[in-house]
Amino acid sequence: MGNNNAAQVGRWVDERLATLCPAGDWQPDPVTGLARLRERTGGDRAHGRSWTWAAAAATAVAFGFLAFPAPRAAAQRFCTACLMAAQNLATRHTAGIVLKPAKERKPAPDFTLDDASGRPVQLSGFKGKVILLNFWATWCGGCKVEIPWLIEFQEQYGQRGFVVLGVSLDADGWKLVRPFITEKKINYRVMIGTDDIAARYGADQALPVSVLIDQSGRIAATHVGLPEKSAYRAEIEKLLDGKTRTAGAD
Amino acid sequence: MNASSEAVAGVEAIGARFDLESVFRTQYDRVARIIARVVHDRARAEELAVEVFLKLWRDRKAQDGNTEGWLYRAAVRAGLDELRRQTRRARYERLLGLVRIVPTPEEIHAANEEHERVRRVLSVMARRQSELLLLRSHGLTYDEVAATLDLNPASVGTLLIRAQQAFRKEYIKRYGKQ
Repeated sequence: MGNNNAAQVGRWVDERLATLCPAGDWQPDPVTGLARLRERTGGDRAHGRSWTWAAAAATAVAFGFLAFPAPRAAAQRFCTACLMAAQNLATRHTAGIVLKPAKERKPAPDFTLDDASGRPVQLSGFKGKVILLNFWATWCGGCKVEIPWLIEFQEQYGQRGFVVLGVSLDADGWKLVRPFITEKKINYRVMIGTDDIAARYGADQALPVSVLIDQSGRIAATHVGLPEKSAYRAEIEKLLDGKTRTAGAD
Repeated sequence: MNASSEAVAGVEAIGARFDLESVFRTQYDRVARIIARVVHDRARAEELAVEVFLKLWRDRKAQDGNTEGWLYRAAVRAGLDELRRQTRRARYERLLGLVRIVPTPEEIHAANEEHERVRRVLSVMARRQSELLLLRSHGLTYDEVAATLDLNPASVGTLLIRAQQAFRKEYIKRYGKQ
């Protein structure tokens, strides 16, 4: 019974599927089809060859980088420069490049830390000078970029009442920082910071952080990340030009 | 083994560079006809047939194994995919009102034609069941259907009966008992 039913259904379905047969006079055209196929496979072959060449070129370049140190070092420098540029772009928006108006400036939290020679450095002791307080670390790429700028600023504006103070946040302390100071020929005073001080200046979240403090000990600008050198210079010069002019101009 | 199967086997036995054109010459007619059963437009069916051979040319695994079975399966799938695309497109166009709502007498006639109804039913059924019905109705034996669809030959009969019942159920649901 069940088999009969299945057979009936089968016949019924077959009858309907039989209506799908193309008209008897229709004949597929293999000549046109083959021409199309040749055209497509030819295109694909050319495409495949171009990929082969690209792969060979990439392998050769990779081999060059691996085998010869000079291009490898160049590539490394290039990558570092790209990274710095990207970091610069990324931080440009967060870094305020305009000095705050004098009325809005808040007092810089005071602290005392020992410098590399063991002498205590108190922040409030520099009142009357423009201070660039720079939080940094030896492992921080952006910090390494701006250190030469800070050396230059110290040299250029030191006689005009400007001072750079570096606060390193390296966990290994002087063991790492002392040789670094010697190697980079840092000409300003460097201290080892604490987490507490870093947190008070917002340097516990990102590095480098640079704080420009005016002659009255108030925070005029804070840069998180790597700012533009020209912006740094303009701000320092503005602050050095005098309190009244800065406050009035801004 | 028929003549076309021998030709394919011969190509495979050479084992060197895959001779696509030999396979094309022996199988194109059958592949195009399988697709044309599902796709109403003959020119489109031939385009899709060329696409199937192109796929074969790109697929090394397909060249090494049961090439003939692979081609039939790919042909049925290409036809069914095109059918589903057409059905989907028609539905969207209706929904978006991009085409006229009132069909022409020719369209009504075409829609009522048996082959058009069969196509619609095939396009909404489970893909594997549609493939099974089409391959079987194209004259493939149980063993060939099993090899083409990677099925156990012993279960082809049962699966085919289920597919036929599913087809009948869907057809009656749409067009009533006739």
